[in-house]
Amino acid sequence: MVTKLRRRRAFSALIYHRLSSVMAALFIVGYLWMILIPLPPLSQGTYIDENALQPAQVNTYWNWVDVHKADQYLYQLEALRHNNATSEQRAVFIRNEFSKLGLAASIQMYEFSTSSGPVRGHNAYAIMASPRASGTEAIVISASWISCIDEGSNTPNMRGISTVLSLAAFLKNQSLWAKDLIFVIGDNYLDGMHAWLNAYHGTIPSNLNTDLLQHSSGVIWTALNIDYSGHSFSHLGVFFEGLNGRLPNQDLMNSLYLIATYTGGVPVTVYDHLDPSEFPNKWEEMSIFPSWIPSAIRKSAYAQLYSYRARNVLRQLGYQARGRASGVHGLFHKFRIDAITLYAVPATGPHGFHALGKIVESTLRTANNLLERLHASFFFFILTSPGTFMKIGTFLPSAILISVAMMFGGLREWVDAGVTQQHYTTTSKGDKTPTTKVKWVPRSRPVLHALIIMIITHIMGIALFSLISTRWYMDSNSTCSLALVGLSLFLPSIILQGIPQPSSTAAPVWMVLKSFNLCFASTIISITSLLNFSLAAALAVTLGLPLTLASPSSIASPPLIKYAFYCILATGWLALCPREVADAIWNWEVLGVWFGPFVCIIYVPLVIQASLVCFYQS
Amino acid sequence: MTRTLKLQCAVVVVAALCVHATVASSEEYTEDLLLRPLRDGKVASTFTFTTLLHSSPDDAQHYTLFPLALGQILRAHAVTELHLSLNAGKWDYRQWHYPDHPAVATGAELWAWMPGTGADIDARWAGLRNSLAGLFCASLGSLDQRRTLAPTDAYQPLGDLPVFQYDTANGTTTSTTHHLRHATLPSENVCTENLTPFLKLLPCKDGASTHACSLARLLNPQRLFDADWHGMGVHVRWLGGGEHSEGTIELKLVVQAVLDPVRTSGGRRDWSLTSLFDRVLDGTCPVAGSSTVRVVLPSEDSGGMYRLSPEAETGDAQHPEVEAHARPTPLDVSMAWHTERVFEYPEYGYHGGDGNEYAHAPPTIHRFLHHTAQTHGVLTLSITNPARDALLRVGYLETLPALVVPWVSTLSAEVVSGKDGGMDGRGEYISDLVYHPSRALSPPPSSPPSSFWPSLASLTPSTSTLHSPSLLQATLTVPPNSTLRVQLALSKAFLRYTEHPPDAMRGWDLPGGVLFPRIHTPALLTDLPTPDFSMPYNVIILSCTLLTLVFGSVFNAVTRGWGIVDLSGGGEDNNSGSGVGGDKEMKDGEEEPKGGEERVIKGGDGEGEGGKGRGM
Repeated sequence: MVTKLRRRRAFSALIYHRLSSVMAALFIVGYLWMILIPLPPLSQGTYIDENALQPAQVNTYWNWVDVHKADQYLYQLEALRHNNATSEQRAVFIRNEFSKLGLAASIQMYEFSTSSGPVRGHNAYAIMASPRASGTEAIVISASWISCIDEGSNTPNMRGISTVLSLAAFLKNQSLWAKDLIFVIGDNYLDGMHAWLNAYHGTIPSNLNTDLLQHSSGVIWTALNIDYSGHSFSHLGVFFEGLNGRLPNQDLMNSLYLIATYTGGVPVTVYDHLDPSEFPNKWEEMSIFPSWIPSAIRKSAYAQLYSYRARNVLRQLGYQARGRASGVHGLFHKFRIDAITLYAVPATGPHGFHALGKIVESTLRTANNLLERLHASFFFFILTSPGTFMKIGTFLPSAILISVAMMFGGLREWVDAGVTQQHYTTTSKGDKTPTTKVKWVPRSRPVLHALIIMIITHIMGIALFSLISTRWYMDSNSTCSLALVGLSLFLPSIILQGIPQPSSTAAPVWMVLKSFNLCFASTIISITSLLNFSLAAALAVTLGLPLTLASPSSIASPPLIKYAFYCILATGWLALCPREVADAIWNWEVLGVWFGPFVCIIYVPLVIQASLVCFYQS
Repeated sequence: MTRTLKLQCAVVVVAALCVHATVASSEEYTEDLLLRPLRDGKVASTFTFTTLLHSSPDDAQHYTLFPLALGQILRAHAVTELHLSLNAGKWDYRQWHYPDHPAVATGAELWAWMPGTGADIDARWAGLRNSLAGLFCASLGSLDQRRTLAPTDAYQPLGDLPVFQYDTANGTTTSTTHHLRHATLPSENVCTENLTPFLKLLPCKDGASTHACSLARLLNPQRLFDADWHGMGVHVRWLGGGEHSEGTIELKLVVQAVLDPVRTSGGRRDWSLTSLFDRVLDGTCPVAGSSTVRVVLPSEDSGGMYRLSPEAETGDAQHPEVEAHARPTPLDVSMAWHTERVFEYPEYGYHGGDGNEYAHAPPTIHRFLHHTAQTHGVLTLSITNPARDALLRVGYLETLPALVVPWVSTLSAEVVSGKDGGMDGRGEYISDLVYHPSRALSPPPSSPPSSFWPSLASLTPSTSTLHSPSLLQATLTVPPNSTLRVQLALSKAFLRYTEHPPDAMRGWDLPGGVLFPRIHTPALLTDLPTPDFSMPYNVIILSCTLLTLVFGSVFNAVTRGWGIVDLSGGGEDNNSGSGVGGDKEMKDGEEEPKGGEERVIKGGDGEGEGGKGRGM
């Protein structure tokens, strides 16, 4: 027992003494791991987990007659666009086309009220009650009026809509569907489909003005969104990130990959990223490496592969961390619907409606095979390339390691705050010379002070968010944001003035504050990593080292520079990327994306706390 | 163009009229096929095979035409009235109007009126459904107490109920009362294995081997099960014959199908028996009293120019009843729209049109389970009264399995479109509210106590027992030309680990609601909180257990300080506290031994500030 205790004590003493190197090692391994995520050996090949799916095992019936029909729909849509048809006229046209097919079709009118003005539009949808099906389950085939190119800039998705219309005409003539098929043409980019989904599920938010739908079907299990805006396409890109970092079941993408490859004969890519191995002469613009690296290295096949996968990973991190949907499909995930967007990468050829129709038909047949919702493991992944992915176990530790290092740092501050050194002289019995010795005496920690400061910063975060989500801020964006950043420079002094100083015998406030700050940030990162790895990784990068290195100003580092760095880290984004701010606010108000509030209420206060630590005099 | 008068009539083509002398006069058999072109180009076909049995119940069961297999079941369980339907698909009232036979609930539905008293009836009901399950190869055995109710208002007897009088022990005469038992199974799949035993009940089978054929010849499984909707029904009722007669037992075997010639022909709505069933009538049933094929002509607005062949002998526009003599076989009935190149679908559902048709259109009903949460939901029923000036007053019945608990206090009704008729609130739109909550049933003796059905923690936290469905019944009043929305909050059960069925977890079916008299709404699917019973689920369980263990030991190590009490005093083994805080003190101890009393280390958080901090 005694030896066990001693061993344990020796071990913890070892950790404590080597804490700095342990933390450094954890940080290095964590950050290095993040950089190495795109490395091919860390990924594994995709496979179909759900046996019922049976992808690419059916004969497809989509043929040139249906392509002709799609072309005819396209002419009519182009005429509508040429005549600058209003949103309502377009919806009426689509509804009438559905109705001509004998489907139960209708129009949904909606209006979101946001701080940047109302967002309104008209959705058209139709429900095909499948023969002999009880109508308790359904599959959605959708397209939005605006394509996802450049996140919903103004490219109309007319070929996508033509595909949906002609698919409706085509699928109406088949009697093999076990689930109802719902065809939805959402207005605009994201808001139309969001309004439709909320109306369908009866979860109408308070800022949405619409009614429940006239026609309904059963529980939606799967959704395919079609985005085909170019003239022809060379690759089929798959977009999958949903709101708030939700991902669909990976089986859906894996099925599409097999079907597109074997039934459609179309190569699949992730997003619109083309594989550099297919384009040997374009390797330079597809590389992510800076140009000072010798081109021999950059040109190597391995570097190109790494660079291709790194672009995919970064794109996924970008969507997921911001909670942004990478397409219309992303709105479905909230309702437990597995959805992806099939994005026809614009090119001069060689594929068109024929290949796309075949692929969609076969994918729908695969989804039709399901006896239960897609489930099992496939919700946490990083798709490094269409055929390879990373399991959660191969990327999660990177963020967790950094979070552990931060937790260690926080605990060390806590322990350090609990004791102080006292120097005193003593004379030992042997020789009479007095020796100076160090005594460790416990001292009280100003826990309350630190907590009050933290609470104040978080309340200020809430205030910041409510301020930037006002209409007034939206209108006077540039001046306001500069004012806010400036304000954040003066905040610490204002806060610290209001906080009474603890007694002189107690530990300095900054130690406890830093300890709490680090522990809190570490907890946030590790919890978030399970829900949204990308957000956790982004937090680990932005918070990990800065928060750990925050310390009161000494003579060596002038306080103002350090302090300004933290302030800019905290609120600089207000001035630097106003577009992102506006997008985040819009996403929060219309789609309920948590990223904006999260940044204001969690991230900014955490960094401000670190800046306060620096503001103290050591 | 003008239509010829001939084509405007509904037509009856009698394929055979041939009553054989050998048939006992106590039994009669007739067969009928009704073909009704629908406004969306589909054709509703209803086969009705009727057997009448005029006999006293005490006869030996020497049937000639009445199916013995069914007769024995009816006799064994003393069933007065029986209705069994096995349907696939959901009937689209908006496009297809009311069905020719009203039993169109999705899946299996069985209801029976039986004389007797409570416990006895339940036992006979169990026997009845098991016998029928065996006879029709359907999962009727699972229509047990968990699905059985007695909604007498919605399921009134369609025939008469005989009064059986008997003398009791003390000399008085008592008459029995009849009781209803009703159960549905919306997820039942109906296919050819159900049709084959069904056809065996007919006196003239499909005629594959015999020369004698009947209308059943047209029941070609390959075409029938490609229909947009199909269903079969067995309907037995007792018709009282007055003072002196023993009464008549009527058995109707019904097959309904909605076939889509537009889909199969590639755009045209022309149909014929050949195109619909891939067969023609090439014989007659020798024992059939009558064997008729009737065609209902399309209505004015969707009719167009069509030609019916063979030409009808005579006809009456509304309710034709025409006798014709034996026709040269084979007989193929067809209807063709020669001037129509492709069929153009009319606007979905009954919109517009003349006021007459509008008034008779069925109400539009939507029923949906809103909210996607796994723990609760909102059942929404919206019902549109198409009539321009008449209130719609219908009974509304919900039989919900014990998986979901409706909260009747949340029942609300509002008119969402159209005029609200000056009425306000739930009281005006919902009346005669009846609610029987789910009640615990004792588990049947044969089944083990750990049945997989819900225990409903929200209602009865005690034991895992069977629960009957809950019944909600009300009368809804819908103002003319407006939509009434009725909403009801539900909470969903949290099932135990062992109570989940071992199949693919599709979800749980809620049977469709009934607007009586007899409109069935489609079934719903609901998700209960369900763990993912796959590999990762096990991994999560395992890793959570491990984490708990690790957390426990770490927490223990951090919060409790263990140390060595040095009784000799001033020893070099100077240990106080543990963890990182303790190390500091150990460092301190190396340089300056503390007093003995300081080094008496306690298990607990009394280790000064550091100890308190660790304990936080």
